[in-house]
This record gives sequence, structure tokens and C-alpha cells, in this order.
Amino acid sequence: MKATSVFEAGNHRWWIIYDQNEGRVIDSNVYVMESNEQSILLDPGGFEIFPQVFAAMVEVVQPSTLQAAFVSHQDPDIASSLPLWNACNSNIQWHMPKLWEGFIRHYGALDANFVGIPDEGGGLVIGGRKLEFIPAHYLHSSANFHVYDPEAKVFFSGDVGAALLPSGHSAWVELRDSDSSKAFDDHIQHAKFFHQRWMPSKEAKKDWISRVSQLDIDFLCPQHGAIYVGENVQRFLSWFDALDIGTAISR
Amino acid sequence: MNIQRIMMIVDASYHTRRTIEHSLREIDRRALNAMVLVKRHGKALAGYGVVAQAFRERAANLKEAASHLQESIAPLIQAHMCILQHRSYADLFHRKMQEMYHYDIICPTFVRTEKTWERVIIAEEAVALTILRQLIKNVEKLQEGIAEQEYVVIIGRIEAALSEGTGAPLMRVSRDMGMAVATVRDAIWKYHNQLEEILHESNIGI
Repeated sequence: MKATSVFEAGNHRWWIIYDQNEGRVIDSNVYVMESNEQSILLDPGGFEIFPQVFAAMVEVVQPSTLQAAFVSHQDPDIASSLPLWNACNSNIQWHMPKLWEGFIRHYGALDANFVGIPDEGGGLVIGGRKLEFIPAHYLHSSANFHVYDPEAKVFFSGDVGAALLPSGHSAWVELRDSDSSKAFDDHIQHAKFFHQRWMPSKEAKKDWISRVSQLDIDFLCPQHGAIYVGENVQRFLSWFDALDIGTAISR
Repeated sequence: MNIQRIMMIVDASYHTRRTIEHSLREIDRRALNAMVLVKRHGKALAGYGVVAQAFRERAANLKEAASHLQESIAPLIQAHMCILQHRSYADLFHRKMQEMYHYDIICPTFVRTEKTWERVIIAEEAVALTILRQLIKNVEKLQEGIAEQEYVVIIGRIEAALSEGTGAPLMRVSRDMGMAVATVRDAIWKYHNQLEEILHESNIGI
């Protein structure tokens, strides 16, 4: 895996760790936000890819600066590496949906420092920068949060925006020419099945889109696939709005 | 190896790499300043021009040597994190076996599985040791390059003293060069010692 800069303004940085080498488990992205020598890990990834994620992360961030980790929901590709991170740094505060705390402990981190996020959401300050935990329940998990950094205009969107891309993929849907929809049209084919099958609730989708549309977003960062930048953020929201989801029931 | 020890090395590697990157950029900048100064003063500083050129060339060599350093650091960290990962498997089976003994249950496949993981870990530790030795070699190569660079700095100081009459601020330029090189030397020396300690611990099986 490799680390690439998503956003940088002075000592405020966002990184994506992406394109894992292990193909037997679903390809995942891990994000790191660093501010004033404090950092937070977002969806730290699965147990099996931990060594790759850790090695890529220390290229860009000093591990002792990790103050916190955010877990969007309970899935193993999100949180099963938790006991290993905890072994490396037991001071990390783990922010996760309150509803899933007891489930996530099953990954084997009985002594880890958990902070439950209530259903209505919340926030956290890392290195003087405020991060907002935005509710995204039922997208796809029943207790699910996304993270918004209003200063960097980075929105970590968990499984929303995810695409199943082949090995060697780029970190970006299109970085240079987001005015053109061609790259988006090509990319979104890889996102279609994921959203149709994994996202269960039309009401949840509508509610999320109406709230997220009001945020000023430059980078929409999913946990699988590639980052939507500029015009592609709005393209994605429109595409998702029109998409039929929860399709397993109608089959 | 103790996880805290590994984390210390991870942090030290991060710090050393950052210091080296920053200092090499600084060295290159100092070398460029010296070249500009020489050009501005023409033939009067020809002797110092040779030194500045040598300084710049060696700075490029240091950059090259430092890039090889990074090639070994990432695999070393990844190797240790793999060991941590597999150690947690072995520990899990060990813990569950203990709990099962408590209920008078013996599961031979658990014993075999734990032993399999132990064997995997021993093999991975051997790989990590090989990578560590290579990293130390790369660090020593970098130290050799720094020693050469320090020699050029000394020559530069002599040339600066000889050219004092030209009015060019060569003494200051030489001092800045020396300080930039000393920063890398100190960082790499400290890092080398830390790696040697780890190697020693690994060899005696701590």
C-alpha cells in the first residue's frame, strides 16, 4: 500500500493509504488527518492488511502522534485491526458508534479506550482542528458515521462512494480534469453494484443526501475505491440520489 | 522483540528520515549559494569554486545513499508488524487452550496450530534480522558519505581563509555548510546506535 497526500495547508494534512497488496480481502482505504503534530486514523482497516497499512502510514505520520481513531461502523474491514493498533499505542482513543461498542470488543481489544458516539453524532478536536461526526445510519450499517473537516473541506464518507477497483488503482477518480464527466462515468460503473446491494434504505439515502448537500465539500473520500474531487462530488451525489438501492429484496 | 522497542525504532526511523531529508535539502541549498557566490566573484574564488562543486556532488551522493536507507526501513517495519500480527494469533490459541484446560478440555489441533504460528514467527524474525542487518549496512554507507562531506567542509574552510581578502562571506558560507552536515552526522550516528542496540537484543533473543 502507499500513502498519498489528499490535502495540505501548513501543518494541517490529510493522507490516504490505498491500493493494498493482499487481494484475498476486500481492498480498503485508510485515511489519516494530522494537525499540529496530533493525528487521527479513520477506519484503520482489517487485521490482515495491518502490516501494510502501518508501514505505509509511518512514511508520512509519526505513529506516536496518533491520539485517536475513528471507526465508522462494525465491519471487519474497518475495525478488525483494532487490537494490533492498540498493542502499538494503547493511548489511542477509539471513537465509534455507541451501538457497536460491545460488538467491536469481539475483535479482541477488551482493554482499549472506547468512546461511543451517540446516534445524533458529535465531534472531536485534533491538534486544534474540529472534526464533525455526521450520522449516516443505514448506509450501510444501522449505526454508521462519516467525518467532516470543515476547514480542509474533506468529507470521509465510509462506504458511501465506494467502488470495487482492480489492483493498482489510482487514489483519485480524476484529479486533473474534474470538469469532464468521462472519468466519473467510467469510475461509477465500479460503484454501482456496491451501492445497490450494500445500501439498504432509500429513506436513509435521501436524508443523508439532503444533509450532506449542504456541506462545502472539496474531497469526498470513501473507504473503498477512489476520491471524488471538485465537480465529481456533486456528480456523485446526483448519481446516488437517482440510484435504486436495496435491490436484493426486489429480486 | 518487545513492541515498545519496535515503536521506538519506528519513531526513530521517522525522525531520522525527516532530519536527513531536511538537512540534505539544506546542504544542497548551501552548496548552491556557494556556487553563486563563486560565480559572482569570478576568478578570485576559483579555488573555492572547486570546493563548492565537490560539496554539491557529494550532497547528491548522500541523497542517493539516503534513498537506499528508506528502501530498508519500510520492509523492516512491515516485517515487525507481521510478527506482531502472527504473535497475536499464537497468543490467542495459547489463551484459549488455557481457558479450555480450566474446563478439562484438551484440543490437540489448538496445540498444533499454536506451534505452527510459533514456527512462522521464528522464520519471520529471521527475515526481519536480515533486513535489519541490511539497514545497518545502508546507514554505515551513509555515514561514510557524511565523513567525505565533512572533509570537503574542512577544505572549504581552508580555502575561505585563503580567500579572505576578496571580501566574499566565505567563512559564513563554510560555517553554514559545516552545520548542515553536522546535523545529518549527529542524526545518523544516533540512529546507528539505536539500530545496533536492536541488533544486539535480537542476537541474544530478548
